[in-house]
Amino acid sequence: MLVEQELIEKARTGDAAAFNQVVLAYRRRILATISRLIGRPEDVEDVAQEVFVRLYYSLDQLRTAEVFEPWLYRLTINASYDYLRRIKRRRESRMADLSEQQVLAADSLAGGKQQRDETEKSRVREFMNALFQHVSEQDRLLLTLKEVEGLSLKELEGIYGIKENALKVRLFRARQRVLKAYQTALANGKL
Amino acid sequence: MTDDENTLDRLFQNYRAACPEIEPGALFMPRLWQRIEARQGFAPVFEHLTRLFASAAAAVCLLLLVLNLVSTPQNSLAGESYTDALVAQNNAEQTYYSEATLITPPSVRSAAAVHH
Repeated sequence: MLVEQELIEKARTGDAAAFNQVVLAYRRRILATISRLIGRPEDVEDVAQEVFVRLYYSLDQLRTAEVFEPWLYRLTINASYDYLRRIKRRRESRMADLSEQQVLAADSLAGGKQQRDETEKSRVREFMNALFQHVSEQDRLLLTLKEVEGLSLKELEGIYGIKENALKVRLFRARQRVLKAYQTALANGKL
Repeated sequence: MTDDENTLDRLFQNYRAACPEIEPGALFMPRLWQRIEARQGFAPVFEHLTRLFASAAAAVCLLLLVLNLVSTPQNSLAGESYTDALVAQNNAEQTYYSEATLITPPSVRSAAAVHH
């Protein structure tokens, strides 16, 4: 825990200063998690704020301060899920929809090493976002938490409240779908 | 583990490295409190409307219940069983038969007796 349990108890009772301290302690971690969950840096702060707004209005429903972290993770996952569904509906024209030639052209336009690095990172993110299109938003989040965020099955069990075996099955299936999408992309020369 | 799966693992690692560590902006906390307050302003209005709607719905339900009780005819047949209905029908037939017997004129009855 990044904060004392007493501080969470105080925040639960409506102490604004205590809530402020809890946010200050957790915001970096939440921002980093959301960054990996949604893969779009420009919207990370907005989703993180939504997480903390939900935290503020539901803190009184928390049973004990001990389960605060899994619970905060759950709020983060839910807000990220809502965001992913929203952008799926919007169907914006993004880099992932562009052809490989267009991506390479964008690469070549980028000057300087730092900019090239940033372009390469953006390309990796967009490519993974495209692969993640082949699984549901729920499975994308689960897969990211396990494979990218590095959470253990035990931790995931605590967050989702689902048995380890069921999680393993879901993870295996999601991984297989992403793998298949990757192989298709490889065969089509999109790498 | 196949080569593709190893590659997929590497892709996940690359993706992790490609996702930047976002530093919270200077306006993170003020904006957060603005959002909390904005929702706080909306919450009481929503709560008030919800309560109003719930009260109206409860009143309508009560009214319908009263109307239903008042308008229901006090018909004993409503709770009648199949055997009760059969008995009632049987009684009605017997009554009709006995009435028919009684209204037969005496001359017809005596003629029938002679014939037998």
